[in-house]
Amino acid sequence: MRVAVCAPQVPFVRGGAEVMADDLVAALRSRGHEAELVTIPFKWYPGSRVLDQAFLWRLVDLTESDGRTIDRVIATKFPAYCVRHPNKVVWVLHQFRQAYDYDRTELSQFSESPEDRATRRAVERLDAVALGEARRVFATSQNVAARLARYNGIQAEVLPHPPQSLPYRTAASEGFVLSVNRLDRAKRIDLLIGAVRSDPSLRAVIVGDGPDRDRLEGLAAGLNGQVEFVGVVDGDDLADLYARCLAVYYAPVDEDFGMVPFEAFLSEKPVLTTSDAGGPLEVVTDRETGIVVAPDVDEVARACAYLVGHVDEAQAWGRAGRAVAERVTWDACVDALLG
Amino acid sequence: MSAVRVAYYSPLPPSPSGIADYSALLLPALRERIDVAVAEPGKRPPRADIALYHIGNEPEAHGWIVDALRDQPGIVVLHEYVLHHLIAGITIGRGDGRAYLDAMERELGVTGRLLGLGVLDNLLPLLWETQPERFPLAGTVLDRAHGLIVHSRFVAERARAAGYDGRLWRVPHPAWPRPDVEPASDVGGDPLIGCFGHLNMNKRIPELLAAFASLRRSQPGARLLLAGPSGERFDLDRRLERLGLTDGVVRFPYLPESRMWSLMAACDVLVNTRFPTMGETSGSVIRALTLGKPLVVSDVGWFAELPDGVVLKVPVDELEVPMLEAAIGFAARHADELGRAAAAYVAREHSLERAADAYAAAIEVAAGGDAVDGQVLLRIAEAAAEVGHSDPSSLARAAFDAGIVE
Repeated sequence: MRVAVCAPQVPFVRGGAEVMADDLVAALRSRGHEAELVTIPFKWYPGSRVLDQAFLWRLVDLTESDGRTIDRVIATKFPAYCVRHPNKVVWVLHQFRQAYDYDRTELSQFSESPEDRATRRAVERLDAVALGEARRVFATSQNVAARLARYNGIQAEVLPHPPQSLPYRTAASEGFVLSVNRLDRAKRIDLLIGAVRSDPSLRAVIVGDGPDRDRLEGLAAGLNGQVEFVGVVDGDDLADLYARCLAVYYAPVDEDFGMVPFEAFLSEKPVLTTSDAGGPLEVVTDRETGIVVAPDVDEVARACAYLVGHVDEAQAWGRAGRAVAERVTWDACVDALLG
Repeated sequence: MSAVRVAYYSPLPPSPSGIADYSALLLPALRERIDVAVAEPGKRPPRADIALYHIGNEPEAHGWIVDALRDQPGIVVLHEYVLHHLIAGITIGRGDGRAYLDAMERELGVTGRLLGLGVLDNLLPLLWETQPERFPLAGTVLDRAHGLIVHSRFVAERARAAGYDGRLWRVPHPAWPRPDVEPASDVGGDPLIGCFGHLNMNKRIPELLAAFASLRRSQPGARLLLAGPSGERFDLDRRLERLGLTDGVVRFPYLPESRMWSLMAACDVLVNTRFPTMGETSGSVIRALTLGKPLVVSDVGWFAELPDGVVLKVPVDELEVPMLEAAIGFAARHADELGRAAAAYVAREHSLERAADAYAAAIEVAAGGDAVDGQVLLRIAEAAAEVGHSDPSSLARAAFDAGIVE
């Protein structure tokens, strides 16, 4: 089958969504399909520019390429899923959240001006058309599916995706809590830094880069190396950090799903998350595969301290997590997407 | 910056209007979503980003609202499609026969103007009393609508057929919360059949009485509760006498809200028939469904759009009376099943939250949508021109089809 995987690209930014699109193409190819990644740079601001970007996808003709039919389009994110194709399948990582659950929060881009409100409504309208015309709609988590149902009245099938392929292994804990995330406010890495600040026995290693980095480094100033920012690291180094950490901290605000918990589990490490983290709560079960606490510095600090004091339990929770992560396979995903 | 502000024009309680009740229900939920400034007759229009006008057919309740709409176009909520009585009231009723002729001409061209002249010269009967459905006169309002909210496909289709090509939203009539009332204990019947609202020819009362008289022959314990005022030229008492129904019918000409719910709750079957329809929805029907009552309606207009498993629909034809009798009997025998379907349907499709969401969306789009559409289309046109695209309008159509612009 000839399959076009459609995903937007924010130039110079690479995160879980980009990894997932690349991995999907690789998974399709490894199963004998012709697969290609189709992408368009995405800039969603200012004002109504987000609609222009959706329109670009609307103009793309993927019915055939070089005289040969493209059998299926798999689109992963807004606005890529606005592309037209008679056999379009959408595997929603997330919608344009500024128009939905982020609206009227500090994470929104839309003001209360009539123009911004109308732009937000246009995104809703566009989603109704673009998702409504899809042959099937999948969501990467219950959380994403629930948003589709709540905001758009669309019933999506839940299809989690496997994490990126890394040389996962486990090793003895070196006592630090690992954060792997883009550094922006929605990821709430400041909670972890605050926890470390409150307890001199705690240490954290923070992987990633992003617009919130300067602020976070400022928060960590004066902690005498308790918090280490290592920036973006390659796959081998990341697998090594996962292997050596005590636990993985992952507590974004109402995250869609995120690959980090599965990556932690494949390294047999428990995950520390918060009760409002959204998607991660579908796999992180309190005291079974990690710890779930309120989104509060003191609570996070207490949880970290508990893990430090109960290494055996942490290891057991990490091993239980591995069994959860291993249930999600590319074979199942490809079968569903091409079915 | 504060939320989008809407100037809200509607009759409000204690106005004896169904639309006043509607707004009393909707406003609190709408205020949770949008900044609402309620306009009052005789006062300066509130400053707002957009105005919203509730239009019904009563000149006393809606005349001032049409006046405001003329001054400032905005979103029109068309509660019924036939507005002849309203237009006559605010033209002829104000001594402005010429405006009535203009409205008739807009609808039917020269023929309309001539018919209007016939009315003004007392050569023709008053069209708004005799056959308003043939001359709806909604054009006067549609011409000034910057967006249109309707409750039914019936009205949406007629507005489009009349040439309205602007934004249109279909927002189901919201349901009242189910009240905590005890069924009235001072009425009874086996079964007790209820009919609530204005009692007149349009509500098919003669047909209902005939069906009830027939039903009583096989079910002498049946009672008919008629709750609502009877029309001026509709002598209900004489009809009851003629049909020998005086002891089988209970009448309540005027009812306070709580008593109405209580009486409705006491009924085994409710009937809400009508023909012709003016495209209206019915608050009584929504209330009946909310209570989970089996309901019989006419198979016309908005009523025909209610799902088959939820209400029983009686066609308006030569078999109307026997069909009505059969439907009432069936509804009484399957009251539980129909009632459950009714309550589930109204909770699903007529929730107040959903209606308020839809209003907020319509208001936000009407207030800012033109500016946004203009920006997007301009950028599309500029890009098309820069690359020498020969048919930029096809691009605009693609944007429209995708919902990117409206």
